[in-house]
Amino acid sequence: MIKFHPTVPTLQSFVEGSLPAADSLIVSTHCDMCLSCSNFTHSCTESTAYSIFSDIIKNDLSSRDYISMFESITRDSNLVNVNLFTLKKPWIELDGRKFELPATLTRFINRVGEWSHLMGTLWQAPIEIDGGSLVQLIYMEKGGSMPEHTHKGNEITLVLDGQFDDGKCSYTKGDYVALDQTHTHTPVSNVNEGCLVMVILDKPLHFTAGWAKLINPLSQLYFKVNTH
Amino acid sequence: MLIGISLNQQNETRQPKECAVEMSGYLDTIAKQRCKLSFSKIFSYFAPRLRSYALKQIGNEALAMELVQDTMSNVWQKAHLFNSEKGSPSTWIFTIARNIRFDMLRKLKNRKEDVCSDDFWPILCEQTADTKSAPLDVQITLEQVGQYFNELPEKQQKVIEAIYIHGKSQQEVADDLEIPLGTVKSRTRLALQRLKDMLKEYD
Repeated sequence: MIKFHPTVPTLQSFVEGSLPAADSLIVSTHCDMCLSCSNFTHSCTESTAYSIFSDIIKNDLSSRDYISMFESITRDSNLVNVNLFTLKKPWIELDGRKFELPATLTRFINRVGEWSHLMGTLWQAPIEIDGGSLVQLIYMEKGGSMPEHTHKGNEITLVLDGQFDDGKCSYTKGDYVALDQTHTHTPVSNVNEGCLVMVILDKPLHFTAGWAKLINPLSQLYFKVNTH
Repeated sequence: MLIGISLNQQNETRQPKECAVEMSGYLDTIAKQRCKLSFSKIFSYFAPRLRSYALKQIGNEALAMELVQDTMSNVWQKAHLFNSEKGSPSTWIFTIARNIRFDMLRKLKNRKEDVCSDDFWPILCEQTADTKSAPLDVQITLEQVGQYFNELPEKQQKVIEAIYIHGKSQQEVADDLEIPLGTVKSRTRLALQRLKDMLKEYD
């Protein structure tokens, strides 16, 4: 059961096409997994369309301009033959386990970079968007945890598989969690199968506890900055 | 100007919802008969509205008109992709415009064009855009399939019948027939692929 969802304004911006690409990726993937958000974006698309097109415009363009546009469009009377392609269901394999990917992510499968060891039981792979690695897939092995950290920017996490806990809540498959500077947390995965998440950060994480403090200056290396 | 087609310059004041059925009919005629008269109705209603949306969103006259033209071109050329069961004509046309705008703005910001609107909203390029069902099924309706069904190997027929006519899950079929789930999956896939090929061949 998915308990955490994007906010209504976030879903609205997604529908309007005004979210940044990285955010759109994570929201769109959440909608693949979440029937209620998927239904909401559906009806939101409809109501947005109705409200945009119900504006009564004073006709400020000459009919000649419209007519020439009309004629140039209809000059070629052929339908464009679109080869609708169908998605295969790909998966990624990690630690001997296969993870099926939601529809949106499957379109990004070729952008998933190499997996690398982050620290302890954490693994990460970048998803290339805009030529930078703004979005990361992170896999926490069973019992794996991230050092306690705060965020200098915002962090959005979507659980793709498994479950993790941050001492306050437990998040399961499909949960969409947005955190900002005010949150400090230590995510831990305590279930048998570990946990696969997708994360966007707009600033590097700031580790607040123990040995991990040492790597703060380096956190840029682990998490590249999303500059939009 | 073509004979018989005049662009209605009077402002059409009906709300998009009120003329959805009518517009839907025009799209259908455009797709099936390449009817310019129907397209002129759609064009008269939507082009000025799109222009107003585009001006608000982009604020640049030339780009706004490019957005209107691209959107209306897509409507003319891809009317056959409109599916009234998935949404109203307004919704479809808005999503086309929204996608074009998304790509336009990324281009303006000199973003690398490696991400495009189709990645999020594959309305004009992907069959499974809004469904969660298996991809191949959508392309094939039972009606179309009926005549070719008998040409399938018996084992595949059984699987297809159980899943698509009796609505069983792949796991249930595996249990019923006492075969591994993987076998059910591969038989389903092979059968659908085969049907698709036959449909293509005889089309």
